[in-house]
Amino acid sequence: MIKLTNISKIYPPDIKALYQVNLHIKPGEFVSIVGQSGTGKTTLVKLLIGEEKPSSGKIIVGGWDITDIGPTAIPVLRRQIGVVFQDFKLLNKKTLLENAAFALQVCGQSSKKINSIVPQVMKIVGLEDKINRYPQQVSGGEQQRAVIARALVHRPKILLADEPTGNLDSINADEIIEILQKINKFGTTVVLVTHNREIVNKLRRRVITIDNGLIVNDQAVGKYIL
Amino acid sequence: MVRNIWLSLVTLMILVLALFSINLLLAVKVLGSSTISAVKNKIDVNLYLKTDAAEDRILALKAKVSQLEAVRQVDYISKQAAAETFREKNKNRPEILQTLIELGKNPLSPSLVIKPKDVNNYNELIASLNKIDDDIIESRDFEDYQTVLVKTNNITQKASQVGLTVSLLFILITVLVVYNTARVAIYTHRREIGIMKLVGASTWFIRAPHLISGIIYAFLGVAIIIVILYPFLGLIQPYLSSFFYGLDFEVNILSYYNNNFFTIFGLEFLAAALVNLLASLIAVGKYSKV
Repeated sequence: MIKLTNISKIYPPDIKALYQVNLHIKPGEFVSIVGQSGTGKTTLVKLLIGEEKPSSGKIIVGGWDITDIGPTAIPVLRRQIGVVFQDFKLLNKKTLLENAAFALQVCGQSSKKINSIVPQVMKIVGLEDKINRYPQQVSGGEQQRAVIARALVHRPKILLADEPTGNLDSINADEIIEILQKINKFGTTVVLVTHNREIVNKLRRRVITIDNGLIVNDQAVGKYIL
Repeated sequence: MVRNIWLSLVTLMILVLALFSINLLLAVKVLGSSTISAVKNKIDVNLYLKTDAAEDRILALKAKVSQLEAVRQVDYISKQAAAETFREKNKNRPEILQTLIELGKNPLSPSLVIKPKDVNNYNELIASLNKIDDDIIESRDFEDYQTVLVKTNNITQKASQVGLTVSLLFILITVLVVYNTARVAIYTHRREIGIMKLVGASTWFIRAPHLISGIIYAFLGVAIIIVILYPFLGLIQPYLSSFFYGLDFEVNILSYYNNNFFTIFGLEFLAAALVNLLASLIAVGKYSKV
């Protein structure tokens, strides 16, 4: 599903965010990418959504070589990958339902399709009773669930979650991880980028550890080792 | 536009102010050019003829002069016509009219009033006139006209240069103000633009509303300026008319705008839309690099 071959990302003058990274994530996997702040985790996410281009190496996502992806192809890529951010990135002037629907609207989907998909997804994330609330009227956990709903409306094959629990308390964080696990059960490949030791250890799934831009550990059923 | 009503209003107001300034500058330019062309139109050459010159020879000379390349129009002022004009001009000066009566005869010469085709080719006209050899010509001293013309041309040239510089400077400032206002309007949407990009919106999908807004702003701006400008021009027109009263030409800024309505406002719309579009393209491009 995701294959990185000898990927390096070097920022001028000579900052190696990632160096010679080789990684293979299979369809349906739930992978946690862990590491301390500034080790290259977010750079990896940016490379996977085409926000950054690698300095060298090759990236394949869903059989598509996105190493030199052009600006017109980036939107197509992003419709196939759901992304969840630490800072939610919700539009405050839209309700939770409208925020989720927004991802389909920007792709020019019909109202009929939007009206049939979005309520279902809101139900999956447990927000069916709060669809008409605005982001500032709900908790951080609920905002993050709305972000997950927005990421799911495209029915992506891959869900990238970059520190999704970073702004949440432990109860809300657990709920978010439960939702991610539920999504993974439906067959979606989930890549969880985090530095939350407790969550990673509780998951008992594949863990890839990055340190100083290098993959230092990759265990099928791993633990947070740093 | 609707969501950011205040920002939209500010953007529109700046566009209207910019267009108003441009139109004010245009009005001043029209006034200046009309005045200068009227002055130029008044420049003519008088060929004074002998007082006893026979009418048929004068008419023959008139026909000859009319055929010259550089001549637009020739008017024959007979002795009687000259005397009548003289009397009319001096009707409030009885001592001068009395002198005319005391002389017992009409001392004024008949003349040919020659208007050049192009005042800039004045020298060509003088050269042609100097070539005509006819003994009924009494005087062909054109020096005064030459001086006036040189001065007029200098003033015209300087006025055009200053006008052009001021216009260009002004247009540049206006373009920058409108451009930056459009950019600020988009800057406020940068978060929304970023999110749109992250969820897979195409660049043109993000740009389209801003481009359409830019065109709507330009259209509304021009519509508002038409509503404001016409009463304004109607207000200043009587002052202009009274300012130029007594001169043989009329400056009607209102009719100028009426006659060139589509050209003026069409170009202003195109220019405003273009600046807005350019600003939108650049700003959206900048804030959508996610």
